[in-house]
Amino acid sequence: MYGGGSIFEPVKLDELAHEDPVKLAEFEARIQRGEKIEPDDWMPALYRKQVIRMIEQHAHSEIIGALPEGTWITRAPGFRRKMALLAKVQDEVGHAQLLYSAAETLGKTREQMTLDLISGKSKYSNVFNYPTFTWADSTVISWLIDAGAIVNQMANARGSYGPYCRALERICAEESFHLKYGHDAVVYLATGSSKQRQMIQEALNRWWPPIMTFFGPADKISAHTEILMRWKVKMATNDECRQQFLDMYVPKVWELTLTLPDPLLRKNEAGTWEYTEPDWEEFKQVINGKGTCNKERLAVRRMAEEKGAWVREALLKPEATYVKPLA
Amino acid sequence: MLLTSLDPRINRLQVPADWPNSAVKKQLDQWATYEVFTQKRENTPYAYVGPVHAPDLEVAFVFAKEQYSRRAACFGLWVVKTQDIQHTPYVDDNESVFNLLNIPAPATASEQSEAFEIFMLKKRGKAHTHAGTVLASGYQNALAQAKQQFGEQIPCVNIWVAPAAKILKSSEEDKDWWLTLNEKKYREPVAYKVLDKINAFKNRTTNTP
Repeated sequence: MYGGGSIFEPVKLDELAHEDPVKLAEFEARIQRGEKIEPDDWMPALYRKQVIRMIEQHAHSEIIGALPEGTWITRAPGFRRKMALLAKVQDEVGHAQLLYSAAETLGKTREQMTLDLISGKSKYSNVFNYPTFTWADSTVISWLIDAGAIVNQMANARGSYGPYCRALERICAEESFHLKYGHDAVVYLATGSSKQRQMIQEALNRWWPPIMTFFGPADKISAHTEILMRWKVKMATNDECRQQFLDMYVPKVWELTLTLPDPLLRKNEAGTWEYTEPDWEEFKQVINGKGTCNKERLAVRRMAEEKGAWVREALLKPEATYVKPLA
Repeated sequence: MLLTSLDPRINRLQVPADWPNSAVKKQLDQWATYEVFTQKRENTPYAYVGPVHAPDLEVAFVFAKEQYSRRAACFGLWVVKTQDIQHTPYVDDNESVFNLLNIPAPATASEQSEAFEIFMLKKRGKAHTHAGTVLASGYQNALAQAKQQFGEQIPCVNIWVAPAAKILKSSEEDKDWWLTLNEKKYREPVAYKVLDKINAFKNRTTNTP
């Protein structure tokens, strides 16, 4: 699972002015009680829009994230690693299917989501616009990107939208293997020959800056964040997720006597991690299409869509007409 | 111009570097949906796992097997077209949807009776589970029968009803599909003895001056 800090649309609070105040109050009371929202419930248009956006971005991240790892299946050292990586990549693509279905319950079709991905309209996790130079890079993704995603997903699993929670429950169950597999692969290199140690150190140096941007920029305390948190769409701030990630994984990197390319990185007396502020200007450039791999990722996805079209055409003699899934 | 990549596999695909903006995606991705239920342990009720998209029920079954039963223990699989399921509204957690529904008293089973499967949801955000089978003359009648047989089960926030004949079910002898799941140990976290490797490394590095 690869879902990172989602990019939410700015909330225009006047959108809420058109909502029925009684229904809105009931909706908020339900969330307050800790009950989940199910597809047929009344919900504000703004909730629908933001939840679709979040789940859709998560789904796209699973699909696109499978590309940099997937290309290493044939080059993974040894049969066992090939089998494991193959299984992991298949899991990720399956997660995308679960998530697309969950988003569909809110009324956006899979057709439209696929179109928005390959036309470049929808976003996916920005880290996948960076290249995987060596096998070691792919192990860093399997370990630390998945670890970051798990932090994010554990928070989201407590969110308010029922179908997303159901999908995340399934996804979490499969994730525990990815994290262990990734950690094992990194440890293998880090405890191996000096050449292997050099490989993993270089991969860490390359991936650390993108990883630090994984959860997105610090949230400004705004009406935007406040309302998404009240509706349990956003369950933790980007900084809370980043702190939790650093707390869990920096010590695991350091215990292998590997280093991280940030001289300011340390845990202060208050227990908070200090670090060099990530380059948000680069982040903005890359997410808007200027990264090394943006073009390649979308081109490969488009090609899969085109080259696979004949299979779908051959199969497409539906006996049923489309309705959105129930849950 | 072709896309150039670090990855030799991508280069071999000969992907165009720039996709023409005019290229229109064929609309082939919106298939009908089917709802999937699995049995996770022998002799336990089937539980809802999620939807698949497919052109027909049999392809849906194949997709469902791949999507929902390739990782965790499974003893049976049911697949049914979404449109063949009728459902009640959702009520609040801790309420019973049976109490809120004005369901006519069940008629005695007539000759037109057929079997319906009843799936009940105990709590919002959880999964529907199979409560049992009723004989009824239609969906509404099935709901009435369900109220009589399962109405005591509280809470029940939502009910799905589907004609048994419309559900494609794996059979008893199909169970061996899932026998090999346990052989793929490399998909289990316990297969990775990471701590052993780390400890061995620490011993090695602290013992050498």
